[in-house]
Amino acid sequence: MSNKEQLPVEETQNERGGFASFLKKTKAAAQGAFQSIAKALHRFTSAGRYEKMLASPEYKATSVKGMVLVLQESGQSVKAIERAQKAGRVVSLVVTYAFIGFMALVVLFPFYWMIITSLKSTTEIRQTQQTFFPNTVLWSNFVNVFKWFDFVTYLRNTVIVGIISTLGTLVTTILAAFAFARLEFKGRDFFFILILATMMIPGEMMVITNYITVSYLGWLDNVIGVFSAMIVPFWVSVFYIYLLRQNFKQIPNELYLAAKVDGKSDWSFLWQVMVPLAAPTIISIFILKLMGAWNSYVWPNLVASKDEWRLITNGLRNSFTTTTGDPQYGLQMAATILVTVPLLLLFIFFRKYIMRGVGRAGIKG
Amino acid sequence: MIKKNNWKGWLYLAPIIILMAVFTFYPLISTFSIAFMKDYDYIKQTSAGFTFDNFAIVLGLAPTNPEAPVELQGYVTDVVRYAIPNTAIITFVTVPLSIIIALAIAVGLNSIPKFQKIFQTIFFIPYVTNSIAVGMVFAVLFDYNGIVNFLLGTMGREYAWIDLGAPTWKAMIALCIYIIWSSLPFKILIFLSGLAGIDKQYYDAAKIDSAGKFKTLMHVTVPLLSPQILYVMITSFIGAFKEYDSVVGLLGKPGTDATKNMYTVVYYIYDTISQNNVHYGSAAAVLLFVVILAFTGIQFWVSKKRVHY
Amino acid sequence: MEIRLKHLTKIFPGNPKKNIPDTHAVEDLNLTIPDGKLYALLGPSGCGKSTTLNMIAGLSEPSSGEIWFGDEDVTDLSPEKRGIGLVFQNYALYPHMTVYKNVAFPLTNLRVEEKVKDANGNDVLDEEGKPLVKKRKLTKIEIDKLVRETSKIVQIEEYLWRKPSQLSGGQQQRVAIARALVKHPRVLLLDEPLSNLDARLRLQTREEIRRIQKSTGITTIFVTHDQEEAMSISDEIVVMKLGVEQQAGIPQEVYNEPANRFVANFLGTPPINFFHGEIRGNKIYIGDAMVKEITDKTLPDQKVTVGIRPEGIVPSEKGVLPFHIDQIITQGRDIIIQGDHPLETRPCKFVVDAFTDVKVGDIHCEVKPHKCFAFSLEGNEERIA
Repeated sequence: MSNKEQLPVEETQNERGGFASFLKKTKAAAQGAFQSIAKALHRFTSAGRYEKMLASPEYKATSVKGMVLVLQESGQSVKAIERAQKAGRVVSLVVTYAFIGFMALVVLFPFYWMIITSLKSTTEIRQTQQTFFPNTVLWSNFVNVFKWFDFVTYLRNTVIVGIISTLGTLVTTILAAFAFARLEFKGRDFFFILILATMMIPGEMMVITNYITVSYLGWLDNVIGVFSAMIVPFWVSVFYIYLLRQNFKQIPNELYLAAKVDGKSDWSFLWQVMVPLAAPTIISIFILKLMGAWNSYVWPNLVASKDEWRLITNGLRNSFTTTTGDPQYGLQMAATILVTVPLLLLFIFFRKYIMRGVGRAGIKG
Repeated sequence: MIKKNNWKGWLYLAPIIILMAVFTFYPLISTFSIAFMKDYDYIKQTSAGFTFDNFAIVLGLAPTNPEAPVELQGYVTDVVRYAIPNTAIITFVTVPLSIIIALAIAVGLNSIPKFQKIFQTIFFIPYVTNSIAVGMVFAVLFDYNGIVNFLLGTMGREYAWIDLGAPTWKAMIALCIYIIWSSLPFKILIFLSGLAGIDKQYYDAAKIDSAGKFKTLMHVTVPLLSPQILYVMITSFIGAFKEYDSVVGLLGKPGTDATKNMYTVVYYIYDTISQNNVHYGSAAAVLLFVVILAFTGIQFWVSKKRVHY
Repeated sequence: MEIRLKHLTKIFPGNPKKNIPDTHAVEDLNLTIPDGKLYALLGPSGCGKSTTLNMIAGLSEPSSGEIWFGDEDVTDLSPEKRGIGLVFQNYALYPHMTVYKNVAFPLTNLRVEEKVKDANGNDVLDEEGKPLVKKRKLTKIEIDKLVRETSKIVQIEEYLWRKPSQLSGGQQQRVAIARALVKHPRVLLLDEPLSNLDARLRLQTREEIRRIQKSTGITTIFVTHDQEEAMSISDEIVVMKLGVEQQAGIPQEVYNEPANRFVANFLGTPPINFFHGEIRGNKIYIGDAMVKEITDKTLPDQKVTVGIRPEGIVPSEKGVLPFHIDQIITQGRDIIIQGDHPLETRPCKFVVDAFTDVKVGDIHCEVKPHKCFAFSLEGNEERIA
């Protein structure tokens, strides 16, 4: 009775089983193939090699009973080892200092060469006998360079762009970092991750459309427009938002609650407590951003079509690209010194903030 | 409380939301869509419809000018011929070399008893310089009558590195040296901060275990520094894929000349703007994005096994 | 191997500009650690015991003095050349290596010494007629066998393929011991090896250390601030205070005959009880009660500190010492009685067995003379009787 009832069920299963069993067979075959491949590859993994070692006849034959383990130096007297050790220490110190010193020279050499080249005459620069110090120190390059290189205009443009874009960035960064660090609202974490994800996207993805956008806005053919184009798109820096948010998060929550109890608004808490406490980070951001403006090349080169709108880096490159005949390296180097020195001054005065700001990047891991 | 904060939070975020909407999110979508538009003209804002050809053309899989007679249809573009090989060489030469050198300097700096601070500052200086300006300095160093040739004893135009008449490989050597030089400070700083974070007791343990200096470096220091190495590797791979400023600084205009070609992928992308070929540029940018994403993904995947956290 | 410390001194320089004086971490320490014994450096934190261990290991350089391993002066030898095993307080296992690799790592730096054989299997002799020996690196197989052998001793075979972060404190500690033992060191040093373990594991592990030390016979020095730990497993101990050796010897002897008040106080739980007392006519008095008669020598009358071990005070009707009992703490096997002596401000504790019939209130107690000491009030408060 029960058999009869079950029979049709089995049959239908068999009928339907055509495809199902095919799937099953394929799956089993695939699994089998996969397993044999994995087995074949296993030999080449460290675990595989280890198992092979355990199975080898040598393994059985080896005995460690009564084995005498010694140091590499054993057999020598303590005095001899100590002498070798002292010598080794001296040698490694000498080698290390030599390497570090040599690399430091390599790092500094371009700067040295930049300076002495700027003080040489073109004939001295181009002669086959190179001199490590100018035969006659020539200051005229620093006078003549202004004929080629409109330093004052570029400097003014760069300072304007640098300061405005940096201040704007600071405002947006502080506001956003505060919202992400202290305020609670729906979608905060999602949005934070979303904007962090944009750090992965190369800027080249944006440049084309942004160029189209600013040209569409009519920003490419007048002073105000070009300066806006060089400033506004850079008012957001996701990385600095991240950096400052981390810093804000370290400020104890008790301060925030205490301020609340005192009847302080979020706004005044942010500017009166958070910002002063995070001042070192904010200074780091300020300087790094300013340096960024000083060094930016690609975008300003695209949008600043007239020479008097150019920033310092574009001005530098463009002033010395089109010259025909022998390049006047003395003048070029004088110009690069003008461009480099302000940065070095900034570095000398704010070394701590710059190095800390850059070093922080690595800690985020 | 939370409800009250709700709109307030977004108010604080309003500046970056507006700015990012216009200059980050919209361009992202727009660039993606332009990459799929046929004959897009950004001045007239016109396009001839949807196509995959932009990618094919950039990658040299389809003719650049299908209307021309067959024998004149160029399949191999400058991207395939120059930009991709150049970018690949820059990436795979400069990244490993600069990481090894930076690691050696950082470990060396960490082990010396005196002048550590001074050297640390010296090694950081290239970071605070203008890449265009220093590129021009390197151009002077590598001039055919410059100091490099002088030191090698090979003065003269026939030994040019980067000037007219120089072969691509020599220009590439000069470029890679410059890129490594300028990328060292960041890496050294990151490695130094990583080294400072390694517990001294592991070195004591290595001493007790009779490990030599080199063995300690390879078996203790480097593995414990692996998070920093991974971070530096990812950032410098991305940076090398996008190398541009250094090329412009060293070579002026990196376009083709008779003997060498220093075209890079990013240079091509910018070039398409002035040529009103942004659909190709967009396609190249999307490809660059995908490659960078894939590389980062692979490194994270590999690091799962290798990186100790 | 016997280890001798001669006039060992370690001074950490201070900063005269900031008015920070020099720290004398270890001062003129003279010790002989006998071959094959388990030796404990005992003392409260800051007594210089860890510094001493680090100097023996070579991780810290002595300011003056000498360290001898057998008949070798190793004072200036760097740690990698000393052939020692060290278990760090926090174990210092390499976090990126598996347990197996952690244990195998020291072996990869060592050589194995073998006699050179000729074709017939006989030893080849050198010019002086001694068998010629050759050094070579260990093979992977030998390393594996040694790792497994050591893992068996410390019972970590199950965890060989795990990373240290996947192990409990006790397991990590055993791995650290394995790493130190695997290379058959001349000396095994343990720096507070039990301090990171919970109470139960601590008891278990210290027995383990004892067992391993006995089975390998390696001269072992271990540092601890826990007197119970030191007393229970070591063959000999040295008690230190502020860098200065107080007393060295066999644990029970040090306990029974403490050299001074510090040692008496440091050893034993509950700690020894102190009373103001005096010696009159070669008898020790607390107040008017005579607690001990000095028989082996003659001492002048003087004020002293009297110390009586908790087990040396026994409630008794005919006892001489009056106490007011505040509290009775039953501990199963024993009872700890806390009481006040009328002349003392600090409460005393004494231990009696669980069947003793005591109640809160006033009682009298007897004193066991061999549990009662008199300490001088001057200088280092030496024991005088």
